[in-house]
Amino acid sequence: MKKVKLLLTVVVFLSLLPLAALAQTFSPIVSTADLAAGLTNPDLVIVDIRKVEEYKAGHIPGAVNVFYGTWAVKTGENDNQLPADDDLADIVGSAGIKPDSTVVVYGKTETPPDRVNVTRVAWTLKYAGVQKVSILDGGFEKWAAFEKRPVSTDTTMPKAVSYQGKFNKNIVASKDYVKASLGGKGKVLVVDVREPDFYNGIQKLPFVAKAGRIAGSVNLPTSLLFEKYPPSGENAGSCCTTYKDKETLKAIATPIDGKLLDRELIVYCDTGKFATAWWFVLAEVLGYKNVKNYDGSSQEWMRDPNAPTLP
Amino acid sequence: MYKGYLIDKTLLDGDPHLSRGCKSCHKGNAEGTTREEAHKGLVKRPSDNLKTCAMCHRKIADTYGKSLHYTTIGQRQGVMKRFSETELKAFDEKVFQQSCRSCHASCGDCHVRGAAVGGISIGLIKGHKFVKKDEGKTCAFCHGGRVYPEYTGEYGGKPDVHYQKGMLCMDCHKKSDMHGDGNIYFSKQDVKDRPACVNCHTKLGQEARLTTRTAHARHQGKVTCYGCHASAEYRNCYSCHLGTGAAAKPGFLLGLNPRDRKTLTTLRLIPTVRDSFEKAGVKMSNFDSLPNYWDTPAHNIRKRTDRTRSCDACHTAKNGFLTKEALVEQSSKADDGLIYNINPIPINP
Repeated sequence: MKKVKLLLTVVVFLSLLPLAALAQTFSPIVSTADLAAGLTNPDLVIVDIRKVEEYKAGHIPGAVNVFYGTWAVKTGENDNQLPADDDLADIVGSAGIKPDSTVVVYGKTETPPDRVNVTRVAWTLKYAGVQKVSILDGGFEKWAAFEKRPVSTDTTMPKAVSYQGKFNKNIVASKDYVKASLGGKGKVLVVDVREPDFYNGIQKLPFVAKAGRIAGSVNLPTSLLFEKYPPSGENAGSCCTTYKDKETLKAIATPIDGKLLDRELIVYCDTGKFATAWWFVLAEVLGYKNVKNYDGSSQEWMRDPNAPTLP
Repeated sequence: MYKGYLIDKTLLDGDPHLSRGCKSCHKGNAEGTTREEAHKGLVKRPSDNLKTCAMCHRKIADTYGKSLHYTTIGQRQGVMKRFSETELKAFDEKVFQQSCRSCHASCGDCHVRGAAVGGISIGLIKGHKFVKKDEGKTCAFCHGGRVYPEYTGEYGGKPDVHYQKGMLCMDCHKKSDMHGDGNIYFSKQDVKDRPACVNCHTKLGQEARLTTRTAHARHQGKVTCYGCHASAEYRNCYSCHLGTGAAAKPGFLLGLNPRDRKTLTTLRLIPTVRDSFEKAGVKMSNFDSLPNYWDTPAHNIRKRTDRTRSCDACHTAKNGFLTKEALVEQSSKADDGLIYNINPIPINP
């Protein structure tokens, strides 16, 4: 009888293994329900990028806090730049993240910058060589206020590691690289993710030297990625902002260059932050194989009198 | 009894401050049935009078009454050497009591309702709940011009590494820094038990890396921690009361600490100019006795900065060093003594 029980236990255990393995990886844009179901994953590191004060007031259980500003720093005259590689390795390692960790980044979705802070951090983690990085759809608002999922006020102290990931330099473009790419007879497509008024040179942000766009770039505004949640019904829009579904995003991106997933794309915005939202969707969700973010973006490009611009 | 509570009723029973009724602190007329009747004799900010809190918290109220947060005497001490005896009397009467002292924090400013800064307040911190601490709403509001946004990186673009690790004000600044320790101090510099980097970083000189160990050994006593580890530009205010209004801009300045004239450290421009108090009819006959730049504990510390990465940043490029040319317009003569002409590192033949 004991042997039968043991056999049954082994069979049940083995039958659950595929489910456990499944729970270890999330979609690039992970839903709150999927994250809740996978909270016990031992390789999971949830990164809360909100301010320390907000984290302390309540966060997803087990999440560590590494404020957004840590991941994107001012360098020289440019905002939102990658930290130096050794600094970044320290930041990633001190959050307890290893190259093969399963990382879910979350923040807020209240304002447009809030929405793209998470993708900027996700892109930075990919740059540092972390392989499995997801972002939480709907952010903390959907998890806590709307769905009333468990929230903790206990600070999670990360178990720091010496980070040894291989940096992925192929996902970032320098100004010189973008300049060189413009002469490539259409081999590289530069994508301006700012809103049409900025692309068309009607508006500009104060810290950008002049209005306009990189010559030859096409426009794919960041706002097209998002929708209010819930999208309809009595409580329409009362929760937060979420990403549109994959098919809709594919349909939006396809006119840009959807049929050539191998073509090199360079996305840019004003400081290299908003551009990461489309970078994340193109590279991680839709399967574009060669997408780079021009980190200096308009803030750097428009200061250079020799950089080709339009209009 | 007037029923128009502005506070969350669920708080009433759980908090001994509130279960005693509004009248115990706010006075007024508990029998009044209308707003007007109930508010007769109302004290809006009961903790402005420390005796209110002292009814239950005598020890804290006693020490707090002597603390720098309450007396704000540090502001007076910081400028008093610029006045003649007569001018100081006029300053005390017309400026310090009416302006500087209005900035003192009451108990309630930190535990119930955010202080008003420039006429603006965040209102109740947590629905009239008495909060033990909430640095992001209290410390951050009064110290929100310089220290706090520099600490979070919202000013300067690089957050302090301690903020990155989840630390807030009271992880370094102890309760006695807020409530006082019972002694009367004239300046925070006089407080012996102040936060210091070495309180936590105790293994200075025992680092694993030779370069780190050597750099710390060579600079110890000559350069403050901030001098090398402050990572970004911080806010410097210019031209206060110059007739055109004050203006702030980011800057990073290295020079000699005006308190000892021998230690290299981060300096911050203090916006007092020669005619700062002229509108109040107070001159500063001895303006040149104090500098315009003072040592500042820049709250944007990082392990690596341009200066820790390369000796040349200071010894060759002299990045950030205060120079005669860079001094603020109409600067004090005392500023000249803060300029440090750093030498290149001698190379042995």
